[in-house]
Amino acid sequence: MLARAGASAWDLTPGAALGTLLLGAALVRGGAFLAGALWSAGGTYIGFLAASGATVDPTAPLVAALLFLCGELSGWSLDERWRVRAEPSLAWRRAAAVGGLALAGLTVATLAVALAALPGGRGVAWTLAGAAAAVGAAGTGVWAARRF
Amino acid sequence: MTRLASPRLAAYASLAAAGLVGGLALGRVEAVALAAPFALALVACAAASEPRVRLRLSLERDRVVEGDELQATLELASDGPVHRLEVLVPLPAELTAEGGTVRALRLRAGEARTLHLTLQCRRWGAFRVGPVLVRASDALGLRSREGEAGDGQPLRVYPSEETLRALLQPLETQVFAGNQVARSRGEGIEFADLREWRAGDRVRRVNWRATALRGALWVNEQHPERNTDVVLFLDTFAEVRAGGRSTNDRAVRAAATLAHGYLQRRDRVGLVGFGGYLTWLVPQSGLRQLYAIVDALLTSDIVASYVLRGVEVLPPRTLPPKALVLALTPLLDERIAAALLDLRARGYDLVVVEVSPLELLAPAAEAPSSLAHGLWRLSRAALRFRYEQLGVPVVTWRDGVPLAAPLEEVKAFRRLARPA
Repeated sequence: MLARAGASAWDLTPGAALGTLLLGAALVRGGAFLAGALWSAGGTYIGFLAASGATVDPTAPLVAALLFLCGELSGWSLDERWRVRAEPSLAWRRAAAVGGLALAGLTVATLAVALAALPGGRGVAWTLAGAAAAVGAAGTGVWAARRF
Repeated sequence: MTRLASPRLAAYASLAAAGLVGGLALGRVEAVALAAPFALALVACAAASEPRVRLRLSLERDRVVEGDELQATLELASDGPVHRLEVLVPLPAELTAEGGTVRALRLRAGEARTLHLTLQCRRWGAFRVGPVLVRASDALGLRSREGEAGDGQPLRVYPSEETLRALLQPLETQVFAGNQVARSRGEGIEFADLREWRAGDRVRRVNWRATALRGALWVNEQHPERNTDVVLFLDTFAEVRAGGRSTNDRAVRAAATLAHGYLQRRDRVGLVGFGGYLTWLVPQSGLRQLYAIVDALLTSDIVASYVLRGVEVLPPRTLPPKALVLALTPLLDERIAAALLDLRARGYDLVVVEVSPLELLAPAAEAPSSLAHGLWRLSRAALRFRYEQLGVPVVTWRDGVPLAAPLEEVKAFRRLARPA
C-alpha cells in the first residue's frame, strides 16, 4: 500500500508505523494493543483512499483478508504462549477455520466491491437491496450481540 | 462456568461496526469490504453452541509411598461439540505429572473421552488433587467458558522408610510379652542363670549337668521376652530447608522407619509432635497404630510459634514410665532443648538424634558470617556436651548417612556410659 501511495507515502508512514508498533506491543503485552494495531492499519488504508479520492480500489478484499489474517495469526500466536499438550488435530482445525473465514471474507468483500463497481447503480431496486442489506446487517448484529 | 471473551472479540466487533458505518458515511465500499471478514468471524462465533461438559476425576489409589507413581484418570463427556477443551489438574508442589497437567482436546457431540495422567509423588504429605479447571473455547478462541469440575480427591503419600537391621534396645521393658529380652528372670528362651531348685519349679527346667556336679537339683533361669514402650519425640518448632531438602523431612522419614520397626516386634509406640502445634498419640501396638502414627506424621508441618511450652502439658499416658524416648530434632530451638532436659530429669530413657542442619547451611565467605557460623556451631557442641554429661546419648545424623549409623553410635555410647 505504501509502495502504491507514491508521493503520499510519507503521509501514510506515521499510521503504518503506529500500527506496527502497536502490533509489536500486542505480541509482547499479551494482546492488549491488538485492537489498536488493527484499527491503525485499517484506518490508515481507508484514510488513504478517502484522501486520494480514488475510484473503487479492487484490492480492498485482499487488504481485508490480510488484515483479518493478521489479527487471527497474532491471536493464535498469543494463545500458543502456554505450553499445552494438545491434540494435533486442534491446530489443523484452527488453521482450517481461520483460512475458511479469510476466504469467505474475501469472497463477500469481492462481491461487495464488484457490486459497487457496477455502472448505473441507481433506482428503486438498488435502494431496496441496499436497505435490505442494511437491515440484515443490523439484525445480524443484534442477534450476535444477544448470543454473546 | 464463567464466560470469557478474547480481546480480539471487542476489536473485531468495533472494526465490523466501524467499517459498515464508515462505509455508509464516507460512501466508500472499501470500508464495508474491510469489515466483511470480521463480521463473518463474529457471526461464526455467535452461532457456536454453548458447551456443556461433564468431568470426573479419579485416582488409582488414595495411599502411596514417597517416590511412587500413580495414575489419575479424567473422564470427559459433552452433550454438544466443543472445539477446544483445555483441562488443568492443579497439583501441590510435592506432586508432579509426566508431561505437565494441562491437556487440550476436541470433543464431538455426545462423545466421551478418558485421559490418563501419571503423577509422581516426590514428598510425603496429605494432599488434595483437584478439582479440575476446565476451559471450553470455540474454533477461533474468541469466546470461552471457564470453571471448576469434579471433586478434589484426597491422596496420602507416606514417607519412605529405610531398612534397619537392628533397633535401639530400651533399658527397661514392660510387663507384656514381646520380642525384647528383659533383664529380669523368668520364663523365656535366653539363658540367664542357675539356681537351686525350689518347690514349684518344673522338671523341664532342671539342669541335669549342674545337678550331677553338685548332687542337688539345680534349675535354669531365663530372661523373659517382654515388650517395650517407645515414644518418638518429633521436634516441629523449627527446621532448615534448602534446595528441596529439609531437616523435618528426614525426621519424619526416620520416625516412620522407627515406628514400623518397633511395631513389627510387638512393642508399643507413641508419638509426640512437639512444636507450634502439639500432637500426641498414646503408645499402642499393632498395624492400626502404625497407620495412626504415619497419618499423624503427614500433618506434622513446621508452624512458627512463640508459645513457651514444656512437657508438662502432655497427657500423662503419652509418656509412660520406663519408656524409651527417641527425640528427632535439629536442636535449633531453645524450647526443645529445655523440654528434653526436663524429660531426662524426670528419669526417662532419652536418646537424642540430632538431624544435622549443617549440610543445608553454607556459611558465607565474609568474615563476620563465618565467625557467627563458628559461634553457632560451638553453642550446639556445648548443648550436646550438656546432654552427654547427664548420660543422654546425642548422635548427629548427617544428610546422606543411613539412619542405622547414628543408632549404632548410641549403642556404642551406652556400652561406655550407663546412665543412672
